[in-house]
Parts: sequence; structure tokens; C-alpha cells
Amino acid sequence: MIITLIISVFIVSSIGAALAFVLVLSEKKFNDYGQCKININEEKELTVTGGKNLLSALGGEKIFIPSACGGRGTCGLCKLRVLEGAGAVLPTEEPFLDKSELDSNTRLSCQVKVRNDLKIFIPPELFAIREYNCKCAEITDLTYDMKQFRFELVDPGTISFIPGQFMQFLTPVYETNTEEIYRAYSISSDPADKNHIELIIRLVPNGICTTYCFRYLKVGDPVRLNGPYGQFRLTDTDAPIVFIAGGSGMAPIKCMLHHMKNTGNKRKTTYYFGANKLKDLCCVDLMHQFEKELANFRFVPSVGALEPGENWTGVKGLVTNAIKEDLQDASDGEAYLCGSPGMIDAVIKVLKEKGMSENKIFYDKFE
Amino acid sequence: MKESPEIQKLEKQLRSTNISAFGFMGTDSRSLSEIINSDMSDLSELGVSITKIVSRMKEITAKAESSLGNWTQIDDRLQARVDEAKGHIICPWPHPAGCAIRITYVRIPETNQDFQWTDLNIHLIEEHNFFEGKGSPYRIEPKELVKIIF
Repeated sequence: MIITLIISVFIVSSIGAALAFVLVLSEKKFNDYGQCKININEEKELTVTGGKNLLSALGGEKIFIPSACGGRGTCGLCKLRVLEGAGAVLPTEEPFLDKSELDSNTRLSCQVKVRNDLKIFIPPELFAIREYNCKCAEITDLTYDMKQFRFELVDPGTISFIPGQFMQFLTPVYETNTEEIYRAYSISSDPADKNHIELIIRLVPNGICTTYCFRYLKVGDPVRLNGPYGQFRLTDTDAPIVFIAGGSGMAPIKCMLHHMKNTGNKRKTTYYFGANKLKDLCCVDLMHQFEKELANFRFVPSVGALEPGENWTGVKGLVTNAIKEDLQDASDGEAYLCGSPGMIDAVIKVLKEKGMSENKIFYDKFE
Repeated sequence: MKESPEIQKLEKQLRSTNISAFGFMGTDSRSLSEIINSDMSDLSELGVSITKIVSRMKEITAKAESSLGNWTQIDDRLQARVDEAKGHIICPWPHPAGCAIRITYVRIPETNQDFQWTDLNIHLIEEHNFFEGKGSPYRIEPKELVKIIF
């Protein structure tokens, strides 16, 4: 009886092991797509090992496509046109693609598997995106929950970017994080400093990247960034500028102000910065310095609510109130907004009431 | 009862730190279905539906949003404020859904009670009846939530 049982277990186990072996072999055989060619913009051809998704395959060749979700198909940012070879659009892509994008063969590159030769189109500006190996050079507390991180570029050692653009920060595996993940942060540094990148990061409670930056990252640690990305930038006009930001939305505006100072820009500029509390205000001294150095710049910080005993002589209330009270006619101006979606939506409404045309309102929403 | 491979995969994802720095299950050793069943049973005892809870949570968040990060009076009893951060957080379930990184803080000044939820909490409750595991930083105790918001 026992022998029969042992033999039966042995037979069943052997069949299981054999099936697993066949499965491994067949997976190797059928998932082996060999070498695939990716033709880019009819100008360049890459040869990659098939089987990866297009986003990863391009990343492996140092061509970086913006992505905020690390290739999970949930951010919809890694769009590019796949002209030949991609197969049918997947259900995971459909929510992110409108009709015109579907008609022009736009796909989420993270969802397209490289199984055969592909012909793709990548917007030329994305070729300027590089990966930067850096060293954390300085960490400065801006508020109780916001820090400025200064990174020295090591390889390559220099960068050019347009003020308003952002970088992606690679969060490495650490104590509680088991997977590398990218997060996007606007550049706050002076674009004239080609050897460093500064980012302003606000702590997100239990956020993967911000927890790493605030708890684990130390001066001297290696850091990997890629970029620059984004279309948020100053126009080349003489129209009066209205900057509006809150929290870490300070970053791209600060970068633009450095640039305006470097280029002797004389555009009439007013910067409304909204802080919820006095302790949320940051970079005030630097902004007052810009008031002295820029020909026509005014900084208008506002504080939403004061704690008992706090003394604040500036504007009290929401940033929208500050704009309502301070900004007269906005019809000939342009506005540059960076902050939470709620803040941006509320500010757009006020600016339109003040006569600003919607196509003159540019923004970098926290989304 | 043995769970399907799909549920096992989902539970692994919920216990991992791939999406949220501390995962969604916290220190809870119960299975996903045990957690959901227990929380749904609590709600059933209270006679409150998921629809009613989610509707009230959304209403509070929407009201608080207009104060752009500052505390605002929701009703005679409740105050709330909304804090937003850059980026999106995705739903750990295998479907394309993501939420803004937004936390709604709620307090009752009279009793010094406070509470919080994220947009993802609302989605997880509405779509998956999941209040997160005990020990997770964003775990919502259904009984406590009902006491606070109604």
C-alpha cells in the first residue's frame, strides 16, 4: 500500500516536472523574437533583442521617452507613433488615445512589445534627452517639508535645458522599496550653471521617491537623472508676465527668474506665490534679491492662514485673493502657473475674469 | 479556500512596495478576501453602503478643494483641507486607473478627532471595497470613518 502510494507520488511529481521543463523550453523557443530592427524617423536604425516593450528597448539604447509610471501603462505619457509593426492597439492603451492619435498610429510605447521590425516616429526634441550620472552635492531645507537638492553632473558633466523643463529622478531600491522607479521634478536651478541640476522636492507622506530623498539620500550619494522634458517655457514676447505658484511649484518659476536675470529680460513681471501657512513660505530672500536685480519684477507672497501670535504684514488669504486684489488689467499679459490642479483651475478662472485670454495662460499642473 | 493565481498575484502586489512606499496591506496577515469581508461586514452592521460612504467622501474632498490647501468648514461639525502633490499613483488592481496624489484631511475641532484619506482610498473603496490592511499608513477603519463623516 505504502509502496503504491510512493510510486504514485513519484509518477505525479515526474509528470509535473516534465511539464514544467516543456513549458520552460517552449517559452524560450516561442518568446525568442531574435534581433529586431527599429527604424526611427527614417533616419536611424537600431538593432535590439526582441521581447521587451518598446519603451524599455529604446531606454536601453539611451533614447528616453517621458514616462511617469515606469512602464505600467497607467500614466499615458510615453506616447509615440509606431508606423509599422506594432500590431493591434491593446485595451490597456485605449483609454489614453483619442481618435486623432489612433488615426496617426500613436501608441503607448510601454505597451508595444518588440516582436518584429518596427518603424517609429519620435519627436526630434526627445533626442536631446540624456541620462545623467550625478552626485548629490548639497541638500538644503527650504521649509519643514520641502528641500532643495543640488546634484553635480558627473557623466555627462554638462546639461542644457530650457527654463521650465523637468527631469526624471531614478529612485533606487532601498529598505522598503523593491523596485527602481522614476519620478518627475521641475528644475529650479540657474540654467547658466551647466554642471549642476537643482530640484525642489516636497515630502509626500509615504511617497516612494520623496521618502527616499528625505530619509535616505545623503550628500555624496550617486544619483541618476534623465531629461530634460516638457514644453512649459517662457514665450519670446514682451507681454507682461504673471507668475503664480504654490509649494514646490516654486521650482520652474525660480529657474525662469534666473534665466530672465541672465538675459537682462525687462518684461514687467509679477510673481504671486501662495503659502497655506507662514511656515510654507520659501525662497523669500532670493525673490527679494530678484526684485533688486531684475528691471521690472515684483514678488507678492500670500499666506492663507496665520497661526496665533504670527506676524505677517503681506497679503493674507488665498493666492486667488491676492491676484484679485493686486492684478488690475490682465488682458495684455501672459501667465505661467505651477501648482496643484485645484489651484491652477481656480487661478485660471480669476485670470479670465481679469481679461486674460486662455491661450495666454501656460501651466505645469501637478499631475 | 485556496485563492486563484490572479488573486494571489494581486495580493503579492498589494503587499509589495512597488506602488506605495509601505504597501497596501500593512502588517495585516489576513488574506485580501478576509480583509474585505470583515470590513464589509462592519459596514453591513452599521447599515451604511459603499455608495453612500464614497459619495460623502467625494463631497467633502470637493468642498475642501476650493480652499486651496487651507482648512475649510464643511458643515457645523467638520473641517477639511486638501493637500496635493505632483504626480499620479496607480491602482494596484490590474486595470488602467490612476489617481492624483491628493490627501483630504478631516477634523472635528470639538472632539479633537482627525482622519485622512487619499483619492486612491476613495477609488479602492468604490471599485474594490478595499479599505487597506491593518498597519498600512492609509488604512481606513470603516466604523471610524462612518462615525466621522456622517
